[in-house]
Amino acid sequence: MGEHKYTGPIAGIFQKIADKMGKDVYYVNFLILMFFTLFEVAAVFFSKVPGTDIEITRGAVWAVLIVVGIIKGYGIAAFFMHLKGDPFIYTRTALFPVLFVVLMLWGIGLSNPDGIDNLPAWCTPNWDYSYVTE
Amino acid sequence: MSGSLHDVKNEIWMKTVVISIGILVLGVIAYGVLAMGVGSMKHHEWEEAHDELENAESSWNTANETGTLAEQESANLVWEDAHHADIDAHLSFLTWDTAGKTIMVMFIIYAAFYGIAGFFNSIQPEEDDHHYGDDHEEHHGSASPILMAGGILLFMMGFPGFVTTCKAWLGLDYDADMGGFMLSSIGSMILIMGIGNWWNEDLKGFPEQIATSHPFEGQDIRKAGMWIFLISEMMVFATFFSSYLRMRTGWCTQWAVDAGKCDVVDTTTASDLLRHDVMTLLPGAINTFALIISSYTIVLALKAAKNVDWQPSKNKLMAKLFPSRKKAVRNYLLITLALGSLFIVLKLVEWSHLIAEGFTIDTQAGSIFFVATGAHGLHVFIGLLVMLFMIFKADALEDGYDENNGQGIEYFGLYWHFVDLAWVAIFPAFYLY
Repeated sequence: MGEHKYTGPIAGIFQKIADKMGKDVYYVNFLILMFFTLFEVAAVFFSKVPGTDIEITRGAVWAVLIVVGIIKGYGIAAFFMHLKGDPFIYTRTALFPVLFVVLMLWGIGLSNPDGIDNLPAWCTPNWDYSYVTE
Repeated sequence: MSGSLHDVKNEIWMKTVVISIGILVLGVIAYGVLAMGVGSMKHHEWEEAHDELENAESSWNTANETGTLAEQESANLVWEDAHHADIDAHLSFLTWDTAGKTIMVMFIIYAAFYGIAGFFNSIQPEEDDHHYGDDHEEHHGSASPILMAGGILLFMMGFPGFVTTCKAWLGLDYDADMGGFMLSSIGSMILIMGIGNWWNEDLKGFPEQIATSHPFEGQDIRKAGMWIFLISEMMVFATFFSSYLRMRTGWCTQWAVDAGKCDVVDTTTASDLLRHDVMTLLPGAINTFALIISSYTIVLALKAAKNVDWQPSKNKLMAKLFPSRKKAVRNYLLITLALGSLFIVLKLVEWSHLIAEGFTIDTQAGSIFFVATGAHGLHVFIGLLVMLFMIFKADALEDGYDENNGQGIEYFGLYWHFVDLAWVAIFPAFYLY
């Protein structure tokens, strides 16, 4: 380990930063994880962007938490867990439960009170609500 | 020839026992200093703050009955200050007290785990009797995981009776269920035997088994097995998330009010109590950094183990901390253990604060918070116990971990990184959102 040179659109960026710093990808990944953790804590903690009057809305915080979560998840899975350098069968294995997670999220959506009558129009094309009694 | 790759010298048992006694002493010292020493002082301060609060309450009541409006307002301000001081003093006491008690309990378990299992594994015969009749080293698989799974099954089957019996013995109003208690105890013993046997098998060391059929053909079986195990772990945490998200969409939380989704708050989440103040958010944030750093140190341990050309750093401090490859691996694992232990301590301190503020497990929001974060904490703690074995192995074997047996660190690292990955999702979902 440590000898492998990462390529690809995202992993390649990690590798380039590592090459510029003269360190390995694990170190760069570690720094990126630390930075984004600080970033997500700050996004929740501050109600306005520091030094400005720009308000940080709940929607913006949501977006930050999800995007940062994905970046951090990628960093840990791809580099620390070596999915990026290992045979693809391990990535397929890791992604297998995602199918069930998606099914669970679908179930959450369908069982949500808003799932009956408050879904946006694009999500309920020509639905017949006549069976809804209240 | 010997059937095993590694021999553990008999004299190692003495070192193991001394280290476990050292761990025990450290735990007792930590309890003495943190809980008995500073904790007692903080408890005294809390009592004083509480007395002042009672005086302020009495003055306020008197002012309400006989005083002027100005006197009432003044008494109210004094009461509010005293109330905040009382809460601060209580939380400060809980911080030190919980930290001391947690460290002591953890270190007792560490000492027992390291001492007993280390002792057991150190007194194996020098001459191994596993002769296979040729020079081929074989590994026939291990029955230990099945033994452990059976132990866990019995333990869980008897667990409700175990809890009821413990409560009855503590003098609470419960009837002892000895059947469940015995079942759970037998399960625990089988589990411990399974762990001990697995530890012993791994310590001897065997060449990796390679999968011979699709889809993992050519891959290490242990690595494939670890990934299959991690799949099941992902599903466990996915169930926590799905139930949390489902419940959360039905609650009118402060967040939902701020986002204009509803008008009146009907549920207080842990994040409502944690995210608005630096001091309440700090333990969760420190824990996040601790896990990320520990993920990196386990990577460094693996890198050191696999590096045949390992050289000490030119930096004097680093050279002192990591003087040889064997010690570098062991010390990186020790740092990982320390960071994981910090995680557990801060988590329990944080829990004690939440419970003191009335956020308990008997609410829907409390139930899912404590179950999800508790399950994660349990995973961290189990990881720490495995790490103790790895530290023992890194220390006890003549060459420690090297390029031939370093896979053990890699496979454990997968588990540890997964625990980190789960926290990456838990932290924003339960602490920030």
